Amino acid sequence: MKCDDCINLLETYLDGEATERESDQIQTHLATCSMCANQLETLTAESEMFTRYDREMEISPALWNGVAARIALEDRQAESKSKTGLGEWIAGLFAMPAFRFAMPAMALVLIALLVGLAYWRTRPQAPAHGENIARAGNPKPINPTGSNSGVQQNDNPVPAPTFDSTGADEGHGPKIIAVNFPPRSRAMNIGRPTDQSDVLPDTENNNGGTMEERDTASHLEQAQNLLLSFRNIKYSDTDEEVDVSYEKSESRRLLSENIMLRREAESSGKFPAKSMLGSLEPFLIDIANLPDKARPADVRQITDRVQRTEIVAELRSY
Amino acid sequence: MNSSADLVSRACRGDHDAFRMIFERYSRPVLSFIYDQIGDRDAAEELAQETFVRAYRSLKSLREETKLSTWLFGIAKNVTRESIRSKVRDRRNVDLDDDQVLDLSDQSPVPVNQLLDKEFNQVVQRSLAKLDDDKRMVFTLKVLHQRSYEEIAEITGFSIPKLKTDLHRARAEMRQRVGRYIGTIGT
Repeated sequence: MKCDDCINLLETYLDGEATERESDQIQTHLATCSMCANQLETLTAESEMFTRYDREMEISPALWNGVAARIALEDRQAESKSKTGLGEWIAGLFAMPAFRFAMPAMALVLIALLVGLAYWRTRPQAPAHGENIARAGNPKPINPTGSNSGVQQNDNPVPAPTFDSTGADEGHGPKIIAVNFPPRSRAMNIGRPTDQSDVLPDTENNNGGTMEERDTASHLEQAQNLLLSFRNIKYSDTDEEVDVSYEKSESRRLLSENIMLRREAESSGKFPAKSMLGSLEPFLIDIANLPDKARPADVRQITDRVQRTEIVAELRSY
Repeated sequence: MNSSADLVSRACRGDHDAFRMIFERYSRPVLSFIYDQIGDRDAAEELAQETFVRAYRSLKSLREETKLSTWLFGIAKNVTRESIRSKVRDRRNVDLDDDQVLDLSDQSPVPVNQLLDKEFNQVVQRSLAKLDDDKRMVFTLKVLHQRSYEEIAEITGFSIPKLKTDLHRARAEMRQRVGRYIGTIGT
């Protein structure tokens, strides 16, 4: 082998990509040619030098958090897309020539319902026998239907509805302006105090709504405790690692609960709850993604953010 | 149990922990590779994030015979190229107008002090930025990430002769700019 051929193959040889035959020839040549051997030595030193290149790259927890959040978002979007697909399919049915009459018919039915509802709400009403209890500022839950409803009240684990009389619906007997029912029940009950079946809370719906609110309240309380516990972890900057295994596992549990509650709040239009749960979620994600033995710097980063954003105060005041 | 193939198969079935392990295993080389291409730490993190989101999205399309790391580098290469085309390139070009960056062929004696390693790192990073895109990619994959020619061809889509030529030229350019540090770094 000539020197030129050897030099041309040296990089390939150094990269471990020369064929067996080429390698044999190069080795034979190097044994007798100091110039080519020196060249190989320089190339080897050069490669060695580049292995010292240090980009000082650290993988911050935020990187995974970003990936996880985007994946979760994509999963949610895919889920809602499949629902939209179903909606479009149903809409497609109505768009078919055979069903075209359905849209105007449905519009007429809706108009009729609205007119009926407006009439119902504005018609003169007889005073209800429970009107004397609709007082302003009554701090206790009051049964708006009198004693006859006792059986349902007792069986119902949900607190009885309360009233206040500060609104503007004046001149129609009892001044029941706002009933502390969940939205669906309120729409059904306002203005129909004499009809007990309607005034009484809809047990099924109220149970669902109140349970959800109670779950959210309990969840937020647990999250608040978790954040307080995390904020109070004792460590010093000289520690190599901080044991956050308990907070991490707790955070993982609360995170899945948080996602579920936030979705429920969103679908039922409870935007304050959705917003609160949404603010909480990044903290849960961050803690859930820490290793069991976290670096003090990572722990401090989260606790600083907990303090800076005053999330605990926000949870407390919710 | 936690081989790449096993992790991929579990992640395809919706196991988020498995995907997390894939991330933990490959995030550093992928992030470094992207940083080598664009020289911007924040942008590199964004693109690494995009790389793993895309990987998650198309995990099911990963062929069994493809090495996971090679596949991830391929996605990172696409993400980086797209970004370079749109905005990052402009930013780097502005940076490169800095005289300090261009003064790399200076052959004055290298100061031997505790800042030498740091200086070396900066010079390598700036020298990489001076290479054209193809050469930079081939050089970083071979010299900094120790990928085989076959893997580089798979990641970049280049033929073996082209990547060998690019690699040879990139080495020559890098030698001209960084060669003065040979024997002084890490000794």
